[in-house]
Amino acid sequence: MPPRPNLVSVFRALSIRPGSLAARRPPAATACIAAAAQGGARRGFATEMDDTKEISETLRAKMNAYMSDDPSGKPSLDGPSENELALKQLELAAYGVQPWDVETEGVKFGIPQRAAAATPGVSHKKRYDPVVEQMTKLLMRDGKLAKAQRDMAMILNYLRSSPPPKVNPARPLLPGAPPAYQLPLDPVLYLTLAIDSVAPLIRIRGYKGLAGGGKSLDLPIPLMARQRRRVAFGWILDVVNKKPSKGSGRTMFPHRVAEEIVAVIEGRSSVWDKRQQVHKQGTVNRANLGHSAVQRFKVM
Amino acid sequence: MSAPNSLRCLARPSAIIPRSLTSAPWIAAPFSTSAPSLAKAETRKGVMPGGHVRSGKKMQLGKFKKNAVRQGKSPLPGERKAYRKRIQLSNSNALPVPGLEDVRPADMVDENKIGRVMSIPGLVLDQLRDVEAFKPTQYWGMFRTPSTLLRAETVDLARRMQNAADKKDMLRLVISGERLTGKSLLLLQSLTYAFMNDWVVIHIPEAQELTTACTEYAPIPETDPMQYMQNNYCLRLLQGIRKANERVLSRLTCAHSHTDLPQNIPVNSTLLQLTNSAKEPEGAWLVFQALWKELMSQTATRPPVLLALDGLAHIMRVSDYMSPSFEPVHSQDLALVRLFCDALSGKSTLRNGGAIIGATSRGNTPRSPSMELSLTQRLAEQAGEEAPKHPPYAKGFDPRSEEALKSVRVVDLKGISKPEARGLMEYWAASGVFRAACDEKTVTRSWTLGGHGVVGEMERASLQTLRP
Repeated sequence: MPPRPNLVSVFRALSIRPGSLAARRPPAATACIAAAAQGGARRGFATEMDDTKEISETLRAKMNAYMSDDPSGKPSLDGPSENELALKQLELAAYGVQPWDVETEGVKFGIPQRAAAATPGVSHKKRYDPVVEQMTKLLMRDGKLAKAQRDMAMILNYLRSSPPPKVNPARPLLPGAPPAYQLPLDPVLYLTLAIDSVAPLIRIRGYKGLAGGGKSLDLPIPLMARQRRRVAFGWILDVVNKKPSKGSGRTMFPHRVAEEIVAVIEGRSSVWDKRQQVHKQGTVNRANLGHSAVQRFKVM
Repeated sequence: MSAPNSLRCLARPSAIIPRSLTSAPWIAAPFSTSAPSLAKAETRKGVMPGGHVRSGKKMQLGKFKKNAVRQGKSPLPGERKAYRKRIQLSNSNALPVPGLEDVRPADMVDENKIGRVMSIPGLVLDQLRDVEAFKPTQYWGMFRTPSTLLRAETVDLARRMQNAADKKDMLRLVISGERLTGKSLLLLQSLTYAFMNDWVVIHIPEAQELTTACTEYAPIPETDPMQYMQNNYCLRLLQGIRKANERVLSRLTCAHSHTDLPQNIPVNSTLLQLTNSAKEPEGAWLVFQALWKELMSQTATRPPVLLALDGLAHIMRVSDYMSPSFEPVHSQDLALVRLFCDALSGKSTLRNGGAIIGATSRGNTPRSPSMELSLTQRLAEQAGEEAPKHPPYAKGFDPRSEEALKSVRVVDLKGISKPEARGLMEYWAASGVFRAACDEKTVTRSWTLGGHGVVGEMERASLQTLRP
């Protein structure tokens, strides 16, 4: 059975004092810790305070004295015993000082460097680009994430190896987009640009019965970036699922998706019409925002 | 035409947006009995002139029956497979790698070139394509030019081939190893070496096409035990041989006359003519036999021959074919497979030197306990250890397969070394495919993630990834 620390005597000496006492660090205690750090003292409790072990400890002390021919009969120790160290540390804890200071005591293998969580490839939860991660989850069917990831990798590889797209000026991409010939070299950017360019700014939400007489009141609701991307990729997937497949095999589905993404960048895709339709509805229904019911029921 | 809405914002439209066009008159005025609404109603299917909709007329079996409306024409037979098997060998978007050289015959036997990536010369590329050495699952389509890494095993294999050609000896070798370790690629490199040194190359790209009963077969008369020829496959093989080896075959002349072929081939006509004489599946096997006989001829000078096959396990078992008495046919009773196995076992020799190389495959491969045991035994013998014994109670062993693999040399492919991995990853980085600093840390990480340098796994970890 491991030795139990006898905390009673320690806590008996405790007193509740207001405020942090970290600044009032007792000099004796710090000196003690510094000595421990130099001597490579181990953290923990010795067995001396344990009543049941007291006899055997005194015996051992006598044995040591006999072996070292010390007439005083006391064990020859250079500094304070481990037990005293531990007690001092507890005392420090009572004062509000951090007793097990890593810098003072030292660590065996060095302090691990914690990289910034936002650095790609460091945190396993933020391993991929946010757009890629979201689209991968949208590709997923029946909870098969690994398959979705493989599909997404194939989509990116298709974009990487397809010829540079011919951008249609009638369907302008996001302002600040890189020139088309650079896109295949960065497939993630290619994908992001396609999705962000066709993403709608709003959605139409109908409030049933709000317009009076059982008629619903359609209101344009602005979307956040993630929502916009979700809607856009949903439209792309709708088109893809309706398109007949030309081939077979595991590359078929991802290649259809990738072809549609190229079509979006080139302005051939029907997803652009959907976007335009939603925006038209939004501008028409913009007048409804001033409807008295909107203020009355505080829907916005 | 300008769009009524601005594309990027919701500014007010300059033109008046047309109202919904769905307001047909008979919807707008349901109680009207005017002529247009009647006319409209008559055109609708299942609606009587009085406006009564006959429900229950249409019977639908199955609750969730879909009305599958197919638009456009579906692909013709074979098109889907062609799409699946399409191989793209270059990517014009990938960056050209500075300092990338074409591999020369001397490079493949030079151990100083180990760990370097070298591209396959254009001429050899066409030849490799003709013998179907490339596979759709490989990553050729991500780089500017098809290039391969020269690894220690490549140089070793090329040297053995060189020795065999010099001594007119016969190299009998099986490439084995865990999955994705580059077995097919090592076979491709051996083909490259053979093509560059003007060997005659006969390559069977997928052994399963021979034994899974997907090509026609016919018994060869006067054979005991009965053997089978596969004329359709032989014709395809001969066409590949002709295209890939055209330069070599046109230089060689027949030492014998062949009168039993579909076309009479006199002495001194070129081997290319002999190969060309197979125009139809009938007689293709005879032409192949005649070509083999010519290549093995002792009287004339002949180049070394490389006989290569991928997917060895498929020919080390009982095939899916049936004999006339409806008994399963052993793979080695198929004449083409038997030719390969006889050469592999050393029963027949390549008179003018050459190599017989078979590569095992770990994907879509039948279990062949005999092959596994034999390869383990050969590896143990090569290492000077005691070979494992035949397990006494296990089933499914095949003595003929063990006989074929009794004295072959086995190359057990494992992961590449770290210097080789570095060379490969620097090539990836220079091609713009791998977009990270290629330092020791990255290389070690990929090497470790790839199961200690298993090339395919490294590719998966570095190329087939969602990272930018």
